[in-house]
Amino acid sequence: MKKVSVSFTLNGDSVKAEVPATWTLLKTLREYFELTGAKEGCGVGECGACTVIMDGEAINSCLCPIPEVEGRSVTTIEGLADEDGSLHPLQDAFLKNNGVQCGFCTSGMIMSSKALLDQNPDPTEDDIRTTIAGNFCRCTGYVQIVESVEMAAKEGK
Amino acid sequence: MIDYDYLRPDNLEEVLGLLKEHGPKATLIAGGTDVMVKIRNTKKAPEVLVSIRGLKDLRYIEKKKDYHIGALTTHRMLEQSELIRTELSALHDGASRVGSVQVRNVATVGGNICNAAPSADTAGPLLVLDAIVFMEGPEGKRSVPITEFFTSTYKTVLKKDEVLTEIKIPGEMEHFGSAYWKHSRRKAMNLPILGIAVSLKLEGEIISDVRIALTVAAPTPVRAYKAEDFLKGKPLSDEALNEAGKIAASTECCSLRDSLRGEAWYRAEIIEVYVPRMAKLAAERRSK
Amino acid sequence: MEEKMPDHLFVGKSIPRTIETDKVTGKAVYIDDLKRPGMLYGKILYSKHAHAKIKSIDTSKAEKLEGVRAVLTGRDIPDVRVGFLKDQTVLKRDVVRQFKDEVAAVAAIRPEIAAEAIDLIKVEYEKLPGVFDPFEAMKQGSPLVHEVDARGRPIKSNILPLPWKFEVGDIEQARKDSAYISKDTVSTTWVNQCCMGTSGCIAEFDQNNNLTLYDQTNVIFGHIGRITEYFSQIGLRGKKIRVVNPVVGGSFGTKLDTDIYEFIAIQLALKTRKPVKILFDREEEFQALPPRQPAVFTIEQGCDKEGILTFRYCEAVLDNGSYTSWGATTPSVMIMPMSSLYRVPNVYFKATCVYTNNIYAQAMRGYGNPQATFAVETSMDTLAEEAGIDPAEFRLINRNRSGDDTPMKLRITSCGLEECITAVKEKLNWDDKKGKQKGRGVGMASLIHVAGGARVTKSDGHGMMIKLDEYGHVDVIESGTDQGQGSPTVISQIVAEALGVRPEDIFLTFGDTALALWDAGTHASRHTFMAGNAAIGACAKAKRQILEMAVEQMPKIIKGGFKRKKRKDPEFVEPDLDFGLIANPEDLDIRDRMIFPKKDPDHPYFKLPLTQILQNGLHVGTGQSKVVMAEEFYDPPTEMLNWEMKGNLSMTYAFGTCGVEVGVDEQTGEVKILKLVSAHDVGKAMNPTLLLGQIYGAAYTGVGYALTEEIKVRNGRVMNPSFRDYQMLTAMDVVPIEPVVIEPIDEAGPYGAKGVGEPGLVPTAPAIANAVYDAIGIRITDLPITPEKILTALKERKV
Repeated sequence: MKKVSVSFTLNGDSVKAEVPATWTLLKTLREYFELTGAKEGCGVGECGACTVIMDGEAINSCLCPIPEVEGRSVTTIEGLADEDGSLHPLQDAFLKNNGVQCGFCTSGMIMSSKALLDQNPDPTEDDIRTTIAGNFCRCTGYVQIVESVEMAAKEGK
Repeated sequence: MIDYDYLRPDNLEEVLGLLKEHGPKATLIAGGTDVMVKIRNTKKAPEVLVSIRGLKDLRYIEKKKDYHIGALTTHRMLEQSELIRTELSALHDGASRVGSVQVRNVATVGGNICNAAPSADTAGPLLVLDAIVFMEGPEGKRSVPITEFFTSTYKTVLKKDEVLTEIKIPGEMEHFGSAYWKHSRRKAMNLPILGIAVSLKLEGEIISDVRIALTVAAPTPVRAYKAEDFLKGKPLSDEALNEAGKIAASTECCSLRDSLRGEAWYRAEIIEVYVPRMAKLAAERRSK
Repeated sequence: MEEKMPDHLFVGKSIPRTIETDKVTGKAVYIDDLKRPGMLYGKILYSKHAHAKIKSIDTSKAEKLEGVRAVLTGRDIPDVRVGFLKDQTVLKRDVVRQFKDEVAAVAAIRPEIAAEAIDLIKVEYEKLPGVFDPFEAMKQGSPLVHEVDARGRPIKSNILPLPWKFEVGDIEQARKDSAYISKDTVSTTWVNQCCMGTSGCIAEFDQNNNLTLYDQTNVIFGHIGRITEYFSQIGLRGKKIRVVNPVVGGSFGTKLDTDIYEFIAIQLALKTRKPVKILFDREEEFQALPPRQPAVFTIEQGCDKEGILTFRYCEAVLDNGSYTSWGATTPSVMIMPMSSLYRVPNVYFKATCVYTNNIYAQAMRGYGNPQATFAVETSMDTLAEEAGIDPAEFRLINRNRSGDDTPMKLRITSCGLEECITAVKEKLNWDDKKGKQKGRGVGMASLIHVAGGARVTKSDGHGMMIKLDEYGHVDVIESGTDQGQGSPTVISQIVAEALGVRPEDIFLTFGDTALALWDAGTHASRHTFMAGNAAIGACAKAKRQILEMAVEQMPKIIKGGFKRKKRKDPEFVEPDLDFGLIANPEDLDIRDRMIFPKKDPDHPYFKLPLTQILQNGLHVGTGQSKVVMAEEFYDPPTEMLNWEMKGNLSMTYAFGTCGVEVGVDEQTGEVKILKLVSAHDVGKAMNPTLLLGQIYGAAYTGVGYALTEEIKVRNGRVMNPSFRDYQMLTAMDVVPIEPVVIEPIDEAGPYGAKGVGEPGLVPTAPAIANAVYDAIGIRITDLPITPEKILTALKERKV
């Protein structure tokens, strides 16, 4: 296997990975860094469970070739809570408002929402729904997820 | 087992050099949302992937005399561009209905048309906006109108050693209103059952010029010329628009097929219904 | 008069899901994330045909691939039959009967190597004729899916030996007595459960061949039963089995049976002596996971002049696919709405399950109820129209009432159906809208479902153990499974309430057969009801132990305190206290971590922290120290269905009504949900926010079932095995849901609660179909209600 060496910023830390060139960012996160919060729900960019933020934008880490991460900054669900363990307003809101049920979509759902709130702290319901359209959830019917994001946006103000 | 070299040149000369060096073994990758999926689904990969994501100067939306859109402009950039939304509305419609935000953040407009799926969401809009596609290769630059770009399903005039660099839309299109409808069973995350794009120019109540394009209606995205010819010079009336819809849905304009996503008869119905609806929306947008 | 409930500190409150914080920080460990030392990755080779003979299998290339540790075919393992009717084997030796058939399996050091090895296996088939339509399959001369039964006796027909039949009263007479009769044929299709986490497990044997199975099942003890039986036939009789749940990424019925991939993981682990993980990819999840059972119903109902139902007659045919999992037993649940949704005196229901070469089916949220309710509630509308009665009024006339015994012998102890129907009418402005708008319409449908356990096996028991340490931390060892429904929060609320501690004091362990008492499974909307009652029982016992401890320790603590005070301050005068207030355990109570006398809850001396009692009770001296530990095995006094399919199998039943307003685009056939009212009789809302989550989620899945979702099966093959092509709803497909919660406290439930996991899905599809009919006068009787079907019907009407 042809390996590549990739240096990037992961949740604020400078890191380096030496992995096969064919690996995706998702596979590298899960297997090389053992950050398993991002999930593979489909592997082809159709479910959003693998969503992470790269340079401020939500992306499907399952479709991101690892060489493309060179020099970039990646934030995963593991990078959201403060070092003292206090939760990001989104994480808090998802717990308070039942935005999480089985939890499998949750990491991706929160990361998509974070990218939105970082760019637009005062989103409409339509903005939120557009943002998470690529994050499937079978448990919630999305209602309380949307409410959770709205709640987090209010908290953030 | 899948194994490939992943090369990341940072300028066009290098890209062209690598394409020349590796010949048919190499495939270009931009946002990766088509290429990576294809590799996973087919379990087959080229020996070399040449990434053009590093070509940052191919990422722009500009209006001078004409509109210029860099090949690596993402769908998200198109979706969020006020210029595109107000002046080239159909392209906004098409770009914002591709996949998800995550996909639109990386998927490029160049990639969308180079992939040349009959369902490409930007193809219909670009067809009705008279887009011109610019390519660069070892023999230099060339351009073709988008109507000549698609040769068959998943095939284009782009040669293996060429790179698509820019899409130009004539400044004249600012006088047109345009709209695109992606017909699908749910609101997001699918391929269209059918796509209908319309652009038109009005003089008073008369349609002085019009373009109609259909996707998933033929092996490639197509213009419905017969329907356009019929409409030109006619008033923007239900009667005329409905007739244009009928013509667009006929074999004179498309070759509809049954597929898993939709049956031919239903696709024809949707064309009949949405050519008028999109024409009206285009006219309404023009008047604003 | 409603009795005033005592104030609860936690029950009935929207406590956040803080106990599941790991799910929002990426720390929760799902099967995807779980690794065991030396673990190998298993992969399955499936059939390339719907029906074929296996002529040869060449595994030589796969075996030689570097990193491969085992390649198994049906010839390499005992040919043991498994499944509900023992009609399939783990790896198929001679014949494949569906595309999903497992032909070979590989274990390798990396998943990519396993996948490559699978591609290197060459199988030669000889195609056999297939049958893909259950009605065709029933005909004489149709290709047989199976040649012999579990005992090796020849099979002459594709009809399963499961004659589901229910009969009460005299249908013929009732038909004659009816003023109005309607007859409909309706059908439902395959839908996938779409758990976001795909199926997977890890099988691991110790040196003594005892098995630990890390598995997502929601019936951990059912798994043990089935694997024990399997073990006894493969030379592992007597070996121990432990089933452990990781965090489960959704269940919705998929984890009810022991699937073939789980047996394959066991065989690969046995062969390699290493832990083996099998994890489906999404395409596999769509192709190899048994979905919801499709069915065709012919239903006839009658009523008298006043609109009172006289009879209900229904025959169902179920496409069983090639093998039998729980899908074939869904008629047992269909009997419930068939016999007991609305009052109906004469009932006949017959269901025939038929083998075909299609994929086979299993459980999904609601079991057979959504299918059967689609039939019943379609028929309710057509009969109401026949009788000239408003469909809402028609339902009210025939509604179930508290105190009813239904023809199935279900005892309706509490029933909020009238309130549900009325609420839906109000919220939809029913009387103003029904039949009065063109292109817009309203419709409704109701449901009955088990809500107090479901005695589908001889025990419907549920065990819970709790223990307290001296710091007041409570360990709850729950025998059920947490599949995302919110049980950790709700159980901690109940335990905190019943024991007198706080939810944050509670640490829950779910899904581990080595620790937990027995449980019938986290299915049939039974978990809150069963675990709640078990918790109340266990807490009462633990509380008794604590209070006995308190009776011993409190006087010592208080008097000791006085002695110390006196030593410090000789002037201190000991107050004259009535120790009679705390003389007996019955005199004391615990609330919010404090122990106090019931007669004087704020007594200045007798109100002591729970931890103080626990510590003093433990560190008391030789031979006297005590710990607190209690268990409860709650098995409710319900009945298993008898041979006539009658019996009160649940302690209580949930009712609900879904009302929908739709707009139909008559040019495109598209249906838009303008409003969806989901009214539910829930007994007591234990946690209102979490309860709404169940209602919203179920309603959304119901809308998908009604309008967009279908597994497209063509000649046995799944044609749309991806989220792109399987049309599960996205967040942009807005369904404006208005939930209505009716709380007729049911005495059998913990604090009055009923189960609510499945109900929300059950009536959604017929409510939408009825609303579409109201909007355009066209009744779509086969799900999903697609624009193509509507447009076709509209065109036919024009002609």
